[in-house]
Amino acid sequence: MSFEGPTFPTLAPTSRSLVPGDFPGTKFSAQNGAEARVQYGSRRTNTEFSLSFDNISDANAALIHDHYHNCRGTLGIFHVDYKPKEGNPGFHEGISGENTANRFSTIPWGLKYRYAEPPQFSSVKPGRMSVTVKLTGILDT
Amino acid sequence: MSYYSGKDGTLTYNGTAVAKVSNWSVSSAVDPLETTVLTDSDRSFVPGIRSISGSATIFYYDDAAVPLLQRIIKTAVVSEADVLVIKLGWGSKFIQGSCVITSAELSCAVGEVMQASIQFQFTGAPTGVVL
Repeated sequence: MSFEGPTFPTLAPTSRSLVPGDFPGTKFSAQNGAEARVQYGSRRTNTEFSLSFDNISDANAALIHDHYHNCRGTLGIFHVDYKPKEGNPGFHEGISGENTANRFSTIPWGLKYRYAEPPQFSSVKPGRMSVTVKLTGILDT
Repeated sequence: MSYYSGKDGTLTYNGTAVAKVSNWSVSSAVDPLETTVLTDSDRSFVPGIRSISGSATIFYYDDAAVPLLQRIIKTAVVSEADVLVIKLGWGSKFIQGSCVITSAELSCAVGEVMQASIQFQFTGAPTGVVL
């Protein structure tokens, strides 16, 4: 069980992308080109969830910075609130994270988010910053 | 209440009036910073960086345009010493600020009075504005 940090700040992103990961397994390729695959687990892992926040206020950028710190960097796992995931109602529905219609969530799939790398903060002008965040959905032991 | 026209216009640099100015213009623009997020259906912006620039045309009469031209048309390198305080006035109103001359053009043609055109860019905020 990993250290669990606070929930990610309630901020709507400027852009968002999801790579849903894959089920763990191995591929065996024969010399004639035939391929066999063995699947080792029933749960998908290594989800990549990227968020960018353009021209947000310093205060909102500080929320992300402090969240990263309070999660002890890339160590801690955490939940992502509804706000960073809303906007695609046919893909991600409802507030409850348990529903499998919440495809940006990790909970229905048995995963937890944590930072894939430290977030990047770019100063735009006094009072405004842009932030990019890359999260990874991992199977927590 | 009164109208203003070209006869009310003045152009000064470092406190010295420039003679024989034919026209001047100034424009100010702000780059908008987009703050639209995924759930918005209309784009939103906040003000970004402002820039102010202008231009002037001066008849080449008795070296009137020379102090401005020689800021960037000269054998020496252009330096920070060539930054001028330019004041564009009309009546009792004015816009003033430190400026870099970004372009200087001198034209001479048959049948026309020789004239100089300059373009300038404000550096920093205007130091005085009365509109």
